[in-house]
Amino acid sequence: MLALGGCKPKPPAAATNAAPKTHAVRGVVQSVAPDQRHALIRHEAIPDYMAAMTMNFSARDPGVLDGISAGDQITFTLAVTETNDWIENVQRVGRTNAFGLSGPPGWHIAEPELEVGDALPDHEFTDEHCRPVRFADFRGRAVAFTFFFTSCPLPDYCPRMNRNFAAARKLLLTAANAPTNWQFLSISFDASFDTPPMLSSYAQLYRGDDTNRWLFAVASTNTLASLAPKVDLTVWREGGTLSHNMRTIVLDPAGRIFRQFDGNEWTPEQLADAVGAAAREPAR
Amino acid sequence: MPTTETARPASHSHEELLFQVMVLALAAIAGLGCWFAATALSHHDALRGLAPDKPRQLVDFALTDSTGRTVTRGEMDGKVLAVSFLFTGCGLTCPEVSRHMAEIQRLTTNQPGVRLVSLTVDPRSDTPPVLAKWGARFGADTNRWLMLTGHKAQVEQLIGASFLASDPGDPFNSMPGNFAGTERIALVDKHGRVRIYFDGLRAEAPAAVVAKMGELEKEN
Repeated sequence: MLALGGCKPKPPAAATNAAPKTHAVRGVVQSVAPDQRHALIRHEAIPDYMAAMTMNFSARDPGVLDGISAGDQITFTLAVTETNDWIENVQRVGRTNAFGLSGPPGWHIAEPELEVGDALPDHEFTDEHCRPVRFADFRGRAVAFTFFFTSCPLPDYCPRMNRNFAAARKLLLTAANAPTNWQFLSISFDASFDTPPMLSSYAQLYRGDDTNRWLFAVASTNTLASLAPKVDLTVWREGGTLSHNMRTIVLDPAGRIFRQFDGNEWTPEQLADAVGAAAREPAR
Repeated sequence: MPTTETARPASHSHEELLFQVMVLALAAIAGLGCWFAATALSHHDALRGLAPDKPRQLVDFALTDSTGRTVTRGEMDGKVLAVSFLFTGCGLTCPEVSRHMAEIQRLTTNQPGVRLVSLTVDPRSDTPPVLAKWGARFGADTNRWLMLTGHKAQVEQLIGASFLASDPGDPFNSMPGNFAGTERIALVDKHGRVRIYFDGLRAEAPAAVVAKMGELEKEN
């Protein structure tokens, strides 16, 4: 199953035997697995279904990827049912040498690591309401963002980040002299599983009904390829799960890095203090 | 002072088994299992080990261990080393390799000429106290099994120069630093030469490493 960043409501469960929904897609092959049944494809946006991103697709039927190799520009059909998805009707329409190495963020980009005081280039995510959200949307506010994925099994990792965010938000919302120009953002790096509805229900666990100043969003693979090195975030697709380190960043109202919290041994009080101090920085 | 926790035996705890079950379930859900770009060596190679890709020598370094002590290259002179790589956010590979390092530690208890070294590839996260916790989890004796961290550039310089080639592939399919073969255990002889690598994920690795270290110790 490939849940994708789909923003359309899923069909009812009873539709198991229904015909697959199909999408016509264009993309560039990044690699074909030795089994000839899987390909990593950087694809264009799929209207009403998925943003442009690079991801793995499976060929259900043998022969679908015959003669296809890295660098091929292709059109294909993405078929999606309630429980499965696959590609078919793969047609080679051209050839490019630019795969991976140039164009929109690809695999081989080495971004320099940023330091406190550096401006963080803008990045776009998809939020829990299926809307695009960018750091620049919050200019004038201090922004604290952290990373997680909803399937994260280790209590000291992603859940701890979001628990700390919950406690820090409470401190900032209730403190008498706290500034009000701030925003929290929890960003999933698991674009293949954390759909907006998934984010929304996960957020409920930590945020409750009060959604004030705390948004959940998901980063596409390409966005992550660009953002992660800048903040020294590591995400490793390891044996079907994700191993990662923990990075929490506070931006000032002008979008500069104000403070970075590495690992998980920081407290909600420290985060609330940093956000409060960042919010008082000038907005340009 | 670094925090410590009670050392646990190097076996699969209930918690870890549960975790692995969850991981398997996730793998099934994600359908990614067959796509995992394993860099593990073949069964045959695992028993024989793998030679370095080019002559590799332990270069000068000054890093900090899990107790906060500065450790330099000079301290390694005349010692036979088993060197592994880890980051504490790593859920599968690193715990398995560390379990095998713990086994190597146990099997070499009476060999004063042997040191174990684990280098973090995520030094900003893996500060001395964080490494101390990791070491305690695997029963590391901080006098014989050194877990080293430091400035990222220095750690990466040491790993890149002395141990591992870089992997220019998908940045999300390799450990931090984009090094190839981070699941390996490298053996360094008394003169600082990297002699052989074993696949640190294989159950046979501890025995193979210990046998080879015995040979290296007999060399002049």
